[in-house]
Amino acid sequence: MSTFRDSASGSQPYKDPTPLPDSVPRVQELGATSAPLKSAAFFIGAYCKEYNEDFMLCKNEGRGDPGQCLKEGRRVTRCATDLINKMRENCLEQFDTHWNCLELNNQEYFACRKPERALNKCMFEKLGLTKTIPGTPAGKKQVHEVENPIYTTVQR
Amino acid sequence: MSIQYRQDLPPPGGFDAIKYKRNLPFRGPSGLVILGAVTAVCAYGFYRVGKGNLERRELQREKVWSRIHLVPLLLAEGDRDAYRRQQAALQREREIMKDVKGWEAGKSVYNNTRYRSAESIVVL
Repeated sequence: MSTFRDSASGSQPYKDPTPLPDSVPRVQELGATSAPLKSAAFFIGAYCKEYNEDFMLCKNEGRGDPGQCLKEGRRVTRCATDLINKMRENCLEQFDTHWNCLELNNQEYFACRKPERALNKCMFEKLGLTKTIPGTPAGKKQVHEVENPIYTTVQR
Repeated sequence: MSIQYRQDLPPPGGFDAIKYKRNLPFRGPSGLVILGAVTAVCAYGFYRVGKGNLERRELQREKVWSRIHLVPLLLAEGDRDAYRRQQAALQREREIMKDVKGWEAGKSVYNNTRYRSAESIVVL
């Protein structure tokens, strides 16, 4: 009779029974959870624009075949890893504050404007990246720059 | 003997004036004022609602774009795993069907060359 044994608690280190073929170069996965990713999303969009667009165009041509765009996909992942590393080097404190705030507030941007402004400021000063939301109506402030928003948390 | 009598007279200084005027206390602001105030409050409320709707639209756009920016990253990661599973399934199929003559592992059952994702996956 066999029982379920969690591979994480085994005495042997976990070995992938079906690893990627050797012809595919290895790339370290990003491994960030949802809140840091959401916090960094607009900077990833700004910093890795070319790689992302290249990958998405390739995906569009490949009609969904996962093997078609592995090279472009590795570039996307490397670029995102690079950006997260840079963020952690330059704005670690602001980044941590912001994504922890998102974690505690149902991952709503509007609940975390104060840490977000600090992060945006730091990112602009250190890395020259700005958060821009495409499609904002002309002549209006972007929603993350509005001084007195209507949607706020109950406690300011 | 004479009777000491006193004539009933008004008090010195005369009687008070008769209060014949209606005495109605102030009964609050008039209907028109209340109506105006309610209208003003409602107007301000609807103004805020309208502003809030516009702002919610912008918040929604912000959320959607934050997800759009993450799509390539997550898709790339998922693709690598899907490719790994695909190759592993091919390997297994080759191993199982190695004794069958003329079997092509991974050959589509359709004549169309369009990519189709696997109908079933083995969780490994």
